Amino acid sequence: MRKGLKPLLIVAACCLAIWGLIAYNQPRLYHSQSYVFGTLVDISIYGEPEARARALTNHILQDFQHLHQQLHAWKPAADNQASELGTLNAAFSSGKQAVNIGPRMAEILLDATKLSQQSNGLFNPSIGHLISAWGFQRDEFSAVNIDKTHISNLVKANPRMSDIIIDNNTTYSKNPNVKLDLGGYAKGYALDQAADYLRKQQVNNALINIGGNIIALGQHGDTPWRVGIQHPRKPAAIATLDLADGWAIGTSGDYQRYFMLDGKRYCHIIDPRTGYPVQHTQAVTVLIPPQAAHSTQAGALSDVASKPIFIEPWAQKSAIAATLGIQHYMVIDQASQAFVTPEMQTKLTWLDADFKKHLHVQTTALH
Amino acid sequence: MQTLRSICMFKLPHYIKTRIKTKTRVMWVGDWCVLTAGIVLVAALFQQLWSHDGASRVQIRLGDTIYGTYSLNQQRNIHVQGAIGSATVSIMNGKARFSKSPCHNQYCVHQGWLSRSGQAAVCLPNQLSLELIGETKHYDSLSY
Repeated sequence: MRKGLKPLLIVAACCLAIWGLIAYNQPRLYHSQSYVFGTLVDISIYGEPEARARALTNHILQDFQHLHQQLHAWKPAADNQASELGTLNAAFSSGKQAVNIGPRMAEILLDATKLSQQSNGLFNPSIGHLISAWGFQRDEFSAVNIDKTHISNLVKANPRMSDIIIDNNTTYSKNPNVKLDLGGYAKGYALDQAADYLRKQQVNNALINIGGNIIALGQHGDTPWRVGIQHPRKPAAIATLDLADGWAIGTSGDYQRYFMLDGKRYCHIIDPRTGYPVQHTQAVTVLIPPQAAHSTQAGALSDVASKPIFIEPWAQKSAIAATLGIQHYMVIDQASQAFVTPEMQTKLTWLDADFKKHLHVQTTALH
Repeated sequence: MQTLRSICMFKLPHYIKTRIKTKTRVMWVGDWCVLTAGIVLVAALFQQLWSHDGASRVQIRLGDTIYGTYSLNQQRNIHVQGAIGSATVSIMNGKARFSKSPCHNQYCVHQGWLSRSGQAAVCLPNQLSLELIGETKHYDSLSY
């Protein structure tokens, strides 16, 4: 019996070693999904103990919730539920009386104003009244009766970010038609806040996705974080790319918030010059490298920069991208054909054969 | 092993006893080698094949929790009480979809059938999501 016991022990030890090795090699990935900002928030943290990852995630989600409450664009002012932004909008519309704002709001407004000017007013968070007229300032929206005169009046009222005057911790608007809606900025800003927080907590590997805007920290084990780009008309990804440390990606599409009327699609991206939803583009994806300190960070830029490229007609798309300093981007037209810059093409791995076949690679150079 | 040898020694005629005896001694070491290799192989295959099983599944998430994970190898309707009402998720022939939803825009239902690993459909108003899980995941997250 003793002779038989020794080999048995060897076998048991071998099994234990293999099991241990497999357990050690298990990916240490924490993944959570929640609903904030009226959209899906998806946080992955790699290489941290689960309890810590969960605590960090909860902290980030609470921050997002605060930011959402602060920046909510259409919560009714009547029942004292108005956000800081709602209060601000009420003050803007009632006249030139200055109101106090917190340092975070001041920082956001200054940065959004800078980006609005840089994009020749195509990124314009002060057109809240237009967005509301098209019915997109609701949780559940439906087709609206298009009131041409109303829309034309709202465009003529010419609300601009430069109408907002910020003096220390007070602000007022020179134009009572300014109504802020930071729907194209807040999610990107939140990405930067979360990335900043995680870095300060010495978390080196994480991937944060707020409603399709994504920022990466470090990588997923031995490989970079990999993100997919949504097909504008199918529930699938058309391509993937590796998102390196500090890089961010954002997509604007006509398929997330839209309604159909008389066979036409009306999406939530509105050209401030015409007052009408853009109908010549299905999607724009921008890829943003890490930005210098004290300038707009990668997350906010990934949210903002896709909009002006989406809005401009085809002949002007590359010019506006160059103005914004965007090198990596992809545009999908109404025939579901993809146009990418050579810089972007080198990053992409195509999954969709149709898209790959009809791909157009174009330089960003101005004509 | 020892019992086997003793049985052999007792019952077999003397002239083959020695041959078997030497043979079984050689076999004795080899046996353990084969046995060890076998167990190692089974353990490795078990880990490789069982944990990432090829059969695709669908994961339903409700809010921030996993509601359930279901095999796609069945025909079934699952009724889930979401944030604003009851939705129906249908599973059929390796595919899954939202087939009924209380939401206004019905984007989730219009997404149609999901069939490949990594595909997902989300119903924001009802805070429900479907994701197909398979042996390979093409990406960590999706930009949409």
